[in-house]
Amino acid sequence: MQMHTFPEISAMKLFSLARAFALVLGLAGTAAAADLSVVATIPNLGMLVREIGGDAVTVRVLAPPNRDAHYLEAVPSMMAALRRADLVVSIGADLEVGWLPAALTGANNRRVMPGQPGNFVAADQVKLLDDDKPADRALGDVHPHGNPHVDFDPERLAAIGRALARRMGELAPAQATEFAKRAETLAEALAEHGARWKERVNDAPGVLSYHSDHMYLLRFLGVKELGTIEPLPGIPPTAAHLRGLVRRLREEPPGVIWTSNYQPDRAARFMARELGWPSHQLPTQVPMDGGFDAYVAMVEAWLDTLDPP
Amino acid sequence: MKNILPSLLALTLASGLTVASAQEADDPVARTRDPLDPPPMRLRALQLAERDVPVATGTEFNPAISVIVDAVYASDETEAPPGFEFGHGHGHGHGHGHGVEEGFNLREVELTFSGTVDPYFDALVALGFHEDGVEVEEAYLTTRMLPAGLQVKAGKFLSDVGYINKQHPHDWLFVDAPWMREFFFGDEGLNEVGVQLTWVPPTETYFRFGVEILQGESEGVANYIGPGRHEAVTLLPGPGGAPERVRWRADHDLAERDGPRLFTAFAKVAPDIGPNHAVQFGLFGGHSRAFQQMDAHSSGRLETWDGDSTFFGLDAVYKYDGGGVMGHGNFTLQGEYIYRELDLRYRNRQFDSFSSLGTLDEGDQKWKQDGLYVQATYGFAPRWNAGLRADLLGLTNDGFEDGEAESFGTSKRYTGQVSYAPTEFSRLRAQLSYVDMAHDDHGHGHSEEWVFMLQYVISLGVHGAHAF
Repeated sequence: MQMHTFPEISAMKLFSLARAFALVLGLAGTAAAADLSVVATIPNLGMLVREIGGDAVTVRVLAPPNRDAHYLEAVPSMMAALRRADLVVSIGADLEVGWLPAALTGANNRRVMPGQPGNFVAADQVKLLDDDKPADRALGDVHPHGNPHVDFDPERLAAIGRALARRMGELAPAQATEFAKRAETLAEALAEHGARWKERVNDAPGVLSYHSDHMYLLRFLGVKELGTIEPLPGIPPTAAHLRGLVRRLREEPPGVIWTSNYQPDRAARFMARELGWPSHQLPTQVPMDGGFDAYVAMVEAWLDTLDPP
Repeated sequence: MKNILPSLLALTLASGLTVASAQEADDPVARTRDPLDPPPMRLRALQLAERDVPVATGTEFNPAISVIVDAVYASDETEAPPGFEFGHGHGHGHGHGHGVEEGFNLREVELTFSGTVDPYFDALVALGFHEDGVEVEEAYLTTRMLPAGLQVKAGKFLSDVGYINKQHPHDWLFVDAPWMREFFFGDEGLNEVGVQLTWVPPTETYFRFGVEILQGESEGVANYIGPGRHEAVTLLPGPGGAPERVRWRADHDLAERDGPRLFTAFAKVAPDIGPNHAVQFGLFGGHSRAFQQMDAHSSGRLETWDGDSTFFGLDAVYKYDGGGVMGHGNFTLQGEYIYRELDLRYRNRQFDSFSSLGTLDEGDQKWKQDGLYVQATYGFAPRWNAGLRADLLGLTNDGFEDGEAESFGTSKRYTGQVSYAPTEFSRLRAQLSYVDMAHDDHGHGHSEEWVFMLQYVISLGVHGAHAF
């Protein structure tokens, strides 16, 4: 007669069981995470964090590059990302106002609440354009803080990068000098490219853009702004507004029409037909995992459209 | 409406004043301004230099204020489905328990103040101006600084059980609430005074667990009346033969049960299925130590039900947001199921003297009932969406008295709606329902009804972020 022994559960077995359970819950991911876990609202900010943080950070971007960050909904996957974050980097100036506050409320993470070191707002670091417009809904979905699309301006982006490096340094003091150094390198590269870009568009035609999201780049470059296809920010163009634009722009020297890849292009195609101008629809954000090279390539793709044929 | 406007005005003025004084405190320009001048529209411009000083995001004014006007036209003659008449008139013909009456309704003017109180609390106050007065719809604080993924909400709030319960009427995708919310939680939803504790674990998949301790007053699962008196007045022949008014009065004997009486729990899980899709599943349940109903007849007869209730349910929602213009291409599918058990002592009594009630009959009643809805909406063009909804009430609809079962029928409602939203701040909606209502006679026989509704919703002030 053979004795039945109770199967011995080894420590190894227990460990692998616990690990499997943790994997299912996604706990293992956090244990192996880098020093600083950062959530960036838009891909251009993700790029900034990645360039400054290097290997010392993991970045999760919430808004895909083909989506207008103004019109997202707070969904649980955002809350899960924010729950585990040490730092959230947003544009601010009401760009994410429709979803980020709700996502933060659902995340139950005190580290990243507004006012905490783990909540970095890019628009608070620089002076915004159009920050003196009255906050009147009759004038469209106006942001009382000013135009939020600061990530499209090499100068402001450099300034935001420096401030972000300081903030990241507060959160991970061991890497503070490294962050500051990398932010400086980035600022220098942006200045270098910026100077080159300015020179390149010396005699460029003016630009008619769909939305006011190109304003910062055009001001930086010194390229003439010919207005926006939207009659008011966030309000789709009406026939009367388009007719008025065509009448006015026929008097101007020929320009170029710019539409971002997440904006409807019907009105731009109409304007191009009426005016005989070239029209271009391109991304204003780097890919989800894009770095500085992707940012430069993105800006230069827009500049290419200003080159003489 | 006459009473609403002055109070609305007063509140708006009062809030304007507090905003102005808050600005003056930190604005050097404001101090030199004539105090009678209107407050400036904006604070100072942001400084040019890098500041690296965190400022509150997205709030020029604290608190943020919004006003929502929700007006409805309804052509609706339906009454409460059989088995669900508690609190809806119990078959006495005044059963339009939808918070909506026949014809034009200013269903709600909702004034909401929200903001961050201090580093530790956020707060929200929503006041509802109805045609018969002002009501505090919600007034709660939520913690911002609890560790370990914990959050406490305290005050009066819409419970987080299920999915649609915590939405305000103007957020619904249809003019009216699904039957499930209306008949299990009441016209106001499960809206209670109490505390809620939630926990979000630091996992890749989103989980949210919560428990609530609530006072327990909601119609469908926690109706509470408490001790009181039943009164009737009749005319009897007096000494000279002339009629004389006689008052009959007795305790109705509904038990006193101190709050908190209602305890709920919920769990939600939301796997990440990419940035353009979102899905969430929920489980919920609750128990109320008191469920009391009373039906006083003009004959002096009094029916009372006194006991407790238990409920549980499931909810699921899927949303696709493809980034089209003004909601074009967006798709939402959501559904919820709820089951309740009421354990009640039924008593049917009549006055046997001027000050006491005699029992005609009594017994132990048990109710087992459920309800569900499934709805879908699709943005078929920019600014436009259309939706379909199916409501089923009483798939199980059984009442047991002293062990003897009586089964009521299943009522069904099918609804279609079309909405047009010129901007995110205004919306018009038309809705048509076909109601297939079970009759009270043991599940046999049905009546058919068409219900038509029109709605407009306008929103003034800040466009706050919507919770999922």
